Amino acid sequence: MNRITELQPAAVDLGRVTKRFGAGAPAVDDVSLQIAPGELVTLLGPSGCGKTTTLRMIAGLEDPTEGRITIGEDEVTHLPAEKRDVTMVFQSYALFPHMNVRANVGYGLKVARTPRAELTDRVEEALALVGLEAFAERPVDALSGGQQQRVALARALVMKPRVILFDEPLSNLDAKLRHHVRAEIRALQKRLGLTAVYVTHDQEEALAISDRVVVMNSGRIEQQGTPRDLYARPVSHFVADFIGSANIVPGEYDGSDIVLGDARIPHTQEITQGPVGVMIRPEAVRPAAQGLAGKVVSISFLGPVNQVDFDTPAGRVTGNLPDDAMGGLRPGAKVALSFAPRGLHLLPPRAV
Amino acid sequence: MADLAQTPPRSLSRAIPLGAVPVWSGIALLLFLALPLIRTGRRFLPLDYMLHPLSLGAGLHWAPAVAAFAVIALYLRPAPRPAQARRRADMAAVILSLGFVGLWAALFSAGTPFGWGAMGASLALCIAAGSALSESNRVRGDAFTGAGILLTLLFVTLFITYPLVMVIRSAVWIEGVLTLDQFRATFSSSLFLFVDNRFTEVNEARMVAYWATAGGAVALAWGLWSSRAAALWRRAWMVPLWVGAGLIAGWAVGIMIWGRGALPSTLLVAVIVAPAATMLGFALALLGQRTNSRAVRGILGVASVLPFITPPFVIGFSMIFLLGRRGLLSHDILGISPFANPLYGAPGVILAQVLGLAPVAYLIIRGSLNSLNPALEEAAQTLGASRWRVFKDVTWPLVRPGIAASLLLASIESIADFGTPLVLGGDRNFLATEVFLALTGRYSQSEASVYGVVLLFLVVLVFIASRWMLGVKGFATVTGKPASGAFLALPRSLEWILLSLAGLWFAFILSLYGVIVYGSVVELWGINNTLTFRHYIEFWNTGWPVVWYTMKLSVASAIPAMMVGGLIAYLVTRHRFWGRSYLEFGSLLSFATPGTVMGLAYILAFNDGTLLMTSTSAIIVLALVFRNMPVAIRASMSGLAQIDRSLEEASATLKAGSGTTLVRVLSPLLLYPLLAGLIFAFVSAMTAVSQVIFLVSAGNNLATVMLLARVERGQLGVAAAMATVLIVMLLALIVLLLVASRYLDARNRGKGLSI
Ligand SMILES: Nc1ncnc2c1ncn2[C@@H]1O[C@H](COP(=O)(O)OP(=O)(O)OP(=O)(O)O)[C@@H](O)[C@H]1O
Ligand SMILES: [Mg+2]
Repeated sequence: MNRITELQPAAVDLGRVTKRFGAGAPAVDDVSLQIAPGELVTLLGPSGCGKTTTLRMIAGLEDPTEGRITIGEDEVTHLPAEKRDVTMVFQSYALFPHMNVRANVGYGLKVARTPRAELTDRVEEALALVGLEAFAERPVDALSGGQQQRVALARALVMKPRVILFDEPLSNLDAKLRHHVRAEIRALQKRLGLTAVYVTHDQEEALAISDRVVVMNSGRIEQQGTPRDLYARPVSHFVADFIGSANIVPGEYDGSDIVLGDARIPHTQEITQGPVGVMIRPEAVRPAAQGLAGKVVSISFLGPVNQVDFDTPAGRVTGNLPDDAMGGLRPGAKVALSFAPRGLHLLPPRAV
Repeated sequence: MADLAQTPPRSLSRAIPLGAVPVWSGIALLLFLALPLIRTGRRFLPLDYMLHPLSLGAGLHWAPAVAAFAVIALYLRPAPRPAQARRRADMAAVILSLGFVGLWAALFSAGTPFGWGAMGASLALCIAAGSALSESNRVRGDAFTGAGILLTLLFVTLFITYPLVMVIRSAVWIEGVLTLDQFRATFSSSLFLFVDNRFTEVNEARMVAYWATAGGAVALAWGLWSSRAAALWRRAWMVPLWVGAGLIAGWAVGIMIWGRGALPSTLLVAVIVAPAATMLGFALALLGQRTNSRAVRGILGVASVLPFITPPFVIGFSMIFLLGRRGLLSHDILGISPFANPLYGAPGVILAQVLGLAPVAYLIIRGSLNSLNPALEEAAQTLGASRWRVFKDVTWPLVRPGIAASLLLASIESIADFGTPLVLGGDRNFLATEVFLALTGRYSQSEASVYGVVLLFLVVLVFIASRWMLGVKGFATVTGKPASGAFLALPRSLEWILLSLAGLWFAFILSLYGVIVYGSVVELWGINNTLTFRHYIEFWNTGWPVVWYTMKLSVASAIPAMMVGGLIAYLVTRHRFWGRSYLEFGSLLSFATPGTVMGLAYILAFNDGTLLMTSTSAIIVLALVFRNMPVAIRASMSGLAQIDRSLEEASATLKAGSGTTLVRVLSPLLLYPLLAGLIFAFVSAMTAVSQVIFLVSAGNNLATVMLLARVERGQLGVAAAMATVLIVMLLALIVLLLVASRYLDARNRGKGLSI
């Protein structure tokens, strides 16, 4: 048998890859990245940081200026796309408008001159995987956005790729559908054991779907790690700010305590003593008997929580407080603030 | 239980580890060994096996065989690691190029015309070398791309650049010496500037002097006035500068009006025709876009294709019927004496060219008008602008690029026009006709080449000027994507002006074409008006075989023109490679070079020696292919611009090579542009005159050339019959294309091409 469920995922290794378009700053700058077989890695970062370019170099659609790319055992640095076992789901889906669903999904197999019977079987299987068996004969423009997206996915899966790439595959869907489809993609990826690289600029999507997240900024890798890792222990202001929301206020660290305004908060972390940036997650902020002195500036109701802005000696701090933690706070009220240790992390001071 | 990556793939090309390089080397070797390498006479057939490489003995001409053999041997070893494979491919590319160069060096030093074997082996070597370049990553892309790049570079060099270089060479390289003598002789000849005509009562030289004086005087006055506030020392040098410029300008204008020479006449006509045709085209486009009348739109649609299907001088020739010495309007109705008829000379040429070029301008400007978003005009209107104000502030600036492109195209076509001046030029000379007359009348290749160089220089000047002043791109997009929404109606008064202008224009066009049809069914135009089918019968006997032959050649040229043009458009828009701008420049050159110059260039390049091809139908087909290729390039480019690149990338990630992608993804989506390009290439081949007039010979005459000869010999009835048949046939073809476009449109909409 030749089933999609039996594909053999490969590792991907980027070794100091750089891509320049003409003069000026490189689009991708000295990026090294190892992806294990069966892992889903997300490239996350603001617009223009080089995510798509990195992905396209893995696909073979862009030629690296420097560095080395291997897939499995094979060096593929300068191999064109059609000679790699890598497929891609495009942001625009790139479905062939002159072919119906079946022809779109079967295109790659047809190009590879797969025998008719096997081709039919595999197209059926791929369509079943994405739940589109009933739509095989439809022209692709007679499908909804979500269905088109799944055709694109089926077309990539049917090739049994050793690596599958996604370039912002959900950005053309509405918010509800996006949650649903990303869960489907993740489930399918786990079930098939696919090696996948996934590009997005939506941090929530990245956290929800990935084994590992790679945060990029101006063509460089800023930090990589599991979603929990990145959220709890960002290494820079950029990452702290980009992943979730965070208060970052200046403070001092003396090896055992954080000095924040007039408050001292016990904390242990490997970091140079002296001035630091203190990252406080909003959900870690609670009113308490003692702690950092604060004054309520404004309260807005967000549904599950209340967003409360405090003025403190260290600067403006925003907290997300559920109703039962509010304790009758009003604008203008003076309170002391404590911070749950899980939502507290020190960063190197912001360079001036 | 195996993965796809491990199951042995079934296709032959993957089962046997044979790449494109050894396969095409093998084909080169086979062609080399199977066909006669050279010819003795002009004819390619029959194959003469005395000219087979084996019969020719040893020598450098064996280079391709040796190279191909070496490369195959190189590829017999098992596949090495990637770095080694790249080095091997580099080596193969070098060896194959050496084989290619060796062969042609041998042929050129022997001076014998090339044969099938040389041609086939060279093409196969090129393909193999291109594949090797892609394999070694010198060219990014697969073997198809690499081979396509090398082949198109070879074609453009051989059939566009090289012949044009030969024109320049022949102008300055005379009997083995580098000299400017021919330039000097031509420039001082009376045909070039020709100031004084002793047979007219006015003294032309004096008139020119008057103009120069007037220019100088105006400039003096202006210089004194404009510098009145400047310091004395500044006035002292500024005023003489102004006067000098004024003298030159006055002299130039004077010589354009009074001189009868080729340069001033050509310039005068171009300077008037380009703006006039553009303005007329603009008026028609504006009317066509904004009128509510369907009839007006229909008429514009039909009238705008007429010039494409009419051989270039036919308008001139029907103007003789209508306005000439014995013309229906001029002589019979207005009673103008045949000796006082003002048609012949600049007025007639200008009138005919404006009529012929206005539709071209119309199409270009309509494109830029259609790509205008109506919301912009609506926005301006909501901001309180009047209709005139909206036109002035929004519409006009946005169509200005279209206007500029139309000016550029109209000046180039006017300068290049050969047929109209030949028929209507009277006592004026024109550059394009002088090329022809110098070569066929005065038998001077070098003089013809000097005229050719002047023409080339003018055209390049126009291009540079338009780029510099207006930032126009070489290829104007004729088709624009129509936007939704309604355009602002024209101001009432303007609509009436435009309508009457269009009415007048259309009535004139109608009478011109009507007159041709009428002329084809009367005994002898202007003398004996009895109806007869004599001319059609004569046409059937003598003209039809030539028309049939022309159609065959036109089909034979349209298909390769479309293929090469489509390939160039694809490579240029979708790939980055060394030589890309050269390819673009070469196709621009073939489009901008006046037809007579290209014809001359082909005579100079392919009349003897190794590349001998004149007096064969091959040379005519080649001339037409590379003449009409730009039409195909433009059609494919505008089609490609509408297709998102991610479709091709998706195809590539699904393991399709670029050849497969071209065939399976791009071609179906480009069906209509390709078909339109094909038909227009065919139509322009059918109506071509200037580029083939030197290339026809007794056995292979062409319809338009025959038509021109009939007009010149005064056999107007037969000429009219022939023109009528040609026009009706081509019109039918265009109507067919329109029907097909409706059908394809509907089909594509059904499948969502228009997303
Ligand atoms: N073909 C190209 N030519 C020139 N510059 C390019 C090209 N493609 C990308 N760039 C530049 O490289 C940089 C990175 O682009 P890239 O598309 O990788 O960003 P991205 O992270 O995917 O952004 P987005 O989230 O907006 O998609 C950008 O500054 C972009 O302008
Ligand atoms: Mg992107």
